[in-house]
Amino acid sequence: MSERSTFSPFWHRVRAMKPRLRPHVQITRQFHRGRRWHVVHDPSSNSYFRLSPVGHEFVGLFDGKRTIEEIWQAGLARHGDDALTQNEVIQLLSQLHSGNLMAGDSTPETEQLLGRGRERLRRKAVQQAIGLMYFKVRLFNPDHILAWIEPVMRPLLGRVGFVLWCLWVVAGLVAVLPHMEELKGGFDAAVAPSNWPLIMVVFVVLKLWHELGHGVICKRFGGQVPEFGAMMLVLVPAPFVDASAAWTFESKWRRMAVGAGGMIFELAAASLAAFVWLNTGPGDLLHQVSYNAMLTASVSTVLFNANPLMRFDGYYILSDLLEIPNLQQRSFGMLKFLMQRHVYRVREATPPTSDPGEALHLLWYGIGSGIYRIVLFVSITLYLVGELFAIGVFLAAWTAAMWFILPIGQFVHWLATDAKLANIRGRAILTSLVLVAAAALLVGAVPMPDHRRAVGVIESEGQAGVYFRVNAFVQSVHVEPGQRVKAGEPILTCESDQLEAQIGTLSAQISEAAAREREARLSSEAAAQVAAKFVQTMQEQLDHLLEKRERLVVVAPRDGVVVGPDLKSFIGRFVREGEPACAVVEPERLRAVATLTQQEAWIYDLDPAGYSVEIRRAADPATVIPARFERTSGAGDRELPHPALGFAGGGSFETSPGDQSGVMAKNPVLKAYFQAIDQSRGPAFASASGAGAMPGERVYLRFTLPDRPWLVQWLDALRKTLQGRARL
Amino acid sequence: MSQVVTQYTSLYESLRSRRLRPELPKGLDMVASRARTFLGHRAHALPRLLDQAKDTDLLAAEFRGMSEAALDDTVTRVREDFLRGREQRDTVCRALAATREVARRITGEEAYLVQLAGALGLYHGRVVEMLTGEGKTLTGSIAAPLIAWRRRHLHVLTVNDYLASRDALGRREIFNRCRCSVGAVVQETEQAERFELYSRHIVYCTPKQIVADYLRDQIRMGRHTTPWTARGLFAATGADGERGPMVPGLQAAMVDEADAVLIDEGVVPLIIARSRREDDMAGVYREAAQLAAQLDEGPDYVIDLVLRRCDLRRRGVDRLRHAFALLLGRGGSAIWRAQRRGEELVRQALVARHCYINQQHYQIVEGKVVIVDEYTGRFLPDRSWEHGLHQAVEAKEGLDVTADRETLARLSFQRYFRTYPFLCGMTGTAADATGEIEAVYGRPVTVIPPNRPVVRDTMPMRIFRTQRDKWAAIVDSIESIHRDGRPILAGTRSIAASELLSRLLEARGLPHQVLNANFDKDEADLIARAGQGASESVSAAITVATNMAGRGTDIKLDPAARRAGGLHVLLTEMHGAKRIDRQFIGRAGRQGDPGSSQVFVSLEDELVTKHAKVLARILKERPGPGEFVATGLLARLFRLAQRRSEARDHSNRAGVLRQDDWIDKYLPGTG
Repeated sequence: MSERSTFSPFWHRVRAMKPRLRPHVQITRQFHRGRRWHVVHDPSSNSYFRLSPVGHEFVGLFDGKRTIEEIWQAGLARHGDDALTQNEVIQLLSQLHSGNLMAGDSTPETEQLLGRGRERLRRKAVQQAIGLMYFKVRLFNPDHILAWIEPVMRPLLGRVGFVLWCLWVVAGLVAVLPHMEELKGGFDAAVAPSNWPLIMVVFVVLKLWHELGHGVICKRFGGQVPEFGAMMLVLVPAPFVDASAAWTFESKWRRMAVGAGGMIFELAAASLAAFVWLNTGPGDLLHQVSYNAMLTASVSTVLFNANPLMRFDGYYILSDLLEIPNLQQRSFGMLKFLMQRHVYRVREATPPTSDPGEALHLLWYGIGSGIYRIVLFVSITLYLVGELFAIGVFLAAWTAAMWFILPIGQFVHWLATDAKLANIRGRAILTSLVLVAAAALLVGAVPMPDHRRAVGVIESEGQAGVYFRVNAFVQSVHVEPGQRVKAGEPILTCESDQLEAQIGTLSAQISEAAAREREARLSSEAAAQVAAKFVQTMQEQLDHLLEKRERLVVVAPRDGVVVGPDLKSFIGRFVREGEPACAVVEPERLRAVATLTQQEAWIYDLDPAGYSVEIRRAADPATVIPARFERTSGAGDRELPHPALGFAGGGSFETSPGDQSGVMAKNPVLKAYFQAIDQSRGPAFASASGAGAMPGERVYLRFTLPDRPWLVQWLDALRKTLQGRARL
Repeated sequence: MSQVVTQYTSLYESLRSRRLRPELPKGLDMVASRARTFLGHRAHALPRLLDQAKDTDLLAAEFRGMSEAALDDTVTRVREDFLRGREQRDTVCRALAATREVARRITGEEAYLVQLAGALGLYHGRVVEMLTGEGKTLTGSIAAPLIAWRRRHLHVLTVNDYLASRDALGRREIFNRCRCSVGAVVQETEQAERFELYSRHIVYCTPKQIVADYLRDQIRMGRHTTPWTARGLFAATGADGERGPMVPGLQAAMVDEADAVLIDEGVVPLIIARSRREDDMAGVYREAAQLAAQLDEGPDYVIDLVLRRCDLRRRGVDRLRHAFALLLGRGGSAIWRAQRRGEELVRQALVARHCYINQQHYQIVEGKVVIVDEYTGRFLPDRSWEHGLHQAVEAKEGLDVTADRETLARLSFQRYFRTYPFLCGMTGTAADATGEIEAVYGRPVTVIPPNRPVVRDTMPMRIFRTQRDKWAAIVDSIESIHRDGRPILAGTRSIAASELLSRLLEARGLPHQVLNANFDKDEADLIARAGQGASESVSAAITVATNMAGRGTDIKLDPAARRAGGLHVLLTEMHGAKRIDRQFIGRAGRQGDPGSSQVFVSLEDELVTKHAKVLARILKERPGPGEFVATGLLARLFRLAQRRSEARDHSNRAGVLRQDDWIDKYLPGTG
């Protein structure tokens, strides 16, 4: 039951005031969820204030002649219960006053005016400090620039423009879609460190364009844009403009258009970039630039700007769409209310809205953005700690303080001092303690499943490479990959005309030399010996060639299964001696090698008997293969088991810059070997269909550790991170 | 010309003092300021003061030997230093030695060492606790000139008009010799005179007078915040109403009974109000009272006696909705059309019904509701409760409903005294309110040890199950002590209780006198008789009194009473604050007299039923005899309840102050 008490003991302090609104204050009407509201706007200080119709009527009677008392009485007579109470009037007046929207009948003192200005600056500074992750620097007033640009663009800023824009974006999309593979392929190159400066430049230019979008559209609908500046968004500079003038627009579509202005401009740019990209070739600088532009203007726009859970463009668009101003603040208010009402049973708790539809929106938004906030905080923190340790830890601590510790402090303060709790404070404190204890128990004592993940490859212990042994052309293939072979069984047959020719020539020469030898034996013993020697040499050469001819047939070096590329592709190809063809492995002796970074060295601490491992193959993710631990490699090794795990091979390990083979990691890695437990159904790591795994195939490992409380898990993870950090 | 300058200066000072009201520290600031007052002021304060007092005392011989002219000359010279703000530690010692000597020569009383320490404490802006009967008057009058020299104007706030004029007159000679002019402003002082009186160096008055004058200044100055904008109002024409502010800038204040003024009455606002013109509300209040009588406690509404508020339940709201419709149908006031406003009126009527009790919170005198001050037990004839509560109580009692009053200006003592840049005070019981005095006023509290040890026998508390048992025991106890020939002072918490006890004593045939707000005319006679011991002609005095006898009352014992063992103080109930109990008990054993005290409580007392509800009920229902053995645990229950009541009052006061500060901050210049 919400009590609005009619009287305030402080009424006498305002009753004789004869206020008026400042002359430059503008009031516009808006409708939110079918209700009328009035937005009071002071362009000089850029402050806004929203009034209910009753409040508006109250303020409307301010003329510098009527006293507050008279106005209030008039309101009472007109509206009865709905009229503002004395407390509400005082609240309203103080808000108008601190927003500098109202002038009293007395000349305000300079000191007061300055004090108010100082207060505003102080509040701004505090906000800056709270949002250190979004540090803002104000630069200049862009209004004159926009005043010059806006008329130029005006023909496009309308319905026709919107239709054209739609067509343009769709055209860009259609043009680019067939080249999806290429697009994907370019991604790795785009995010490679060498591309960062370029992407940075493109980013800044595009964001300027983005802000221009907000500014121009705001200007188009008659709003002022008084501020341009740069915002340090998690240490990345991004420009911003103050388009809050849009808040006074009566039409919500216009307000939304201003909010969406940046994205509209950016998507248009992305479309343009798509055409440029299609019409330039690889290696061209413009090609790379347009790729970057496409990436930034579409991905960043969709991920960041359009996301309503952060206070970026999407948030304001959503807030206008739902017609709920101050969405975030009020949705937290809603959560607070629900907690007060249902957990603490505060009877006087007032909901931020009485409209059930609005309440529902507030609820889902509150929960969604709350969760998002935590996830974002954790991921940004982890990222920053990984990249810039000291600054990251500092920022994380600061943000944690502002986002979590500050609210906790406020909560404790509320619990200790709030008047609404006066007669149930004991119970409220008890409730809080129970909640905290329950949370502590959940986090600190209840064992929770603990899973870890790692990536690895399949490797075989019994593995023999099959190599071509002569330079020749491949003539025929006798087996297929996956086929079981015995040692000595032919795999490929090559032919070499040159070899045949050499053999022919040599045979001819030998018979000639043999004839010559016979002749010589008749003439002289010494000459015969020389000739015999010659023949023998020739014979040896021939033997060698013949042996080489034999080696044209590539045979299996051991029993096992043939693995490797499709051998048929070799047919007709010239191969060199020593070139690998395929490998023969013993499928019974396959194993998986998991690779971990030093920071993830948790595997050292585990008791092999205490956890279980499940492996899924990239080729067959549906089948779960139980495995057991065999051994780890020594620390400090930097060689990856397979190129597939490195950056170049699409893996997650950064390879060292000078490395051509793609298997030398930049930082030391740990390798842990696992064996499939169940060997009964044929080849190890076989899928359900029986298809065996091949060495070099990527596998995903999932470790199920003994259940431990979350707190222990987190502390462990933190310790490992710090240790890994210290080791470097 | 110089007059204009003076006027302008006083106008400026007056306006400035309105602006510079300090804010209550919040959050970490509060912690820091508390730590500061705790560490900086409290720890070594007393030894330092005593040290300085000893140094002053060393000068006594020198000053005693001075000729009158030499003394005057010394006074003039040290005053110069003070006027210029150049005083050093030794100048202060010399100045105090001089005023002490002046006082000695004029009154023949020489201040003791502890009084010197007390005076120094005052000079350093502290609130000093000196036990009753330790010569606070002398302490104040030797410190006052020093402060007046340094701060130009000193307001000495006394408990009542009588003390103000008595002290101003009695101390005039001392102050004049110290080259300070002195005046007293009392209720009867004409407006015209006040301008001149307030311009004197030392002004004696009651808080009520000065705050009212200050408020009148505010109303006259309207919303002007600078002397420049206000100049037109105060053109130097000489006409009384246009002579600038009456109270020039607030410089320094010395508050007697500081805890009463600063804490107990701290949030009681002084209100200048006028009756609202349009008013046909009398019927409405009566109807609200009738509706309130029809509702049932429990199903319809819940009353919170501690917070003095009422919550309607759904059934009550529904019943009211029908009732309002009925009233409207019968041509009742249009106010019943507005459900919320109507409910508010009924809730108020319910609060008036349950939380305001006749003969405790108010008394009906000549067909009017007169508020009884909870702390002093006196009538407050010209005060009324705000926002219709007074009318609701009148309607409940079936009296004529007076017109609703409209507040023109309102200022609590708390806010007013925070405006002074310099504030000091004296009291018998400040130590229990140390925290609050330090938090709200930023004034450290120093306890000055007594000159003579207190010989008062504090008898153990007696705890009873029910009120009935308690009263029976009280009467027995009074009877037995009475037989010893000792005078007895029995303190009650309300007028009703004092009359109940009176009836009980009458039934026993014990002769006694009753002192409560109804008999305030006879107060002086009653007090004079209260110290009588038994003699051949009369038996020892039994005085039943409300808190009226608590503060500032000096009960003189006659030799017979002193021989018999002195005054016995008997408290029939514990009060909401320990200080009030201490004040009352402090009537016994004054100035080295013998005396004794005892407290009687029961588990049905308001204190425990309000503030330790559950515990009290559990203990009460435990089987056993009517009187409990007063174990530490049980006594602690009562102390706990008292502490909770103190904390509740404290947080109420802090709340009012915070709201005031909030408005000051967000709507500055609104008075």
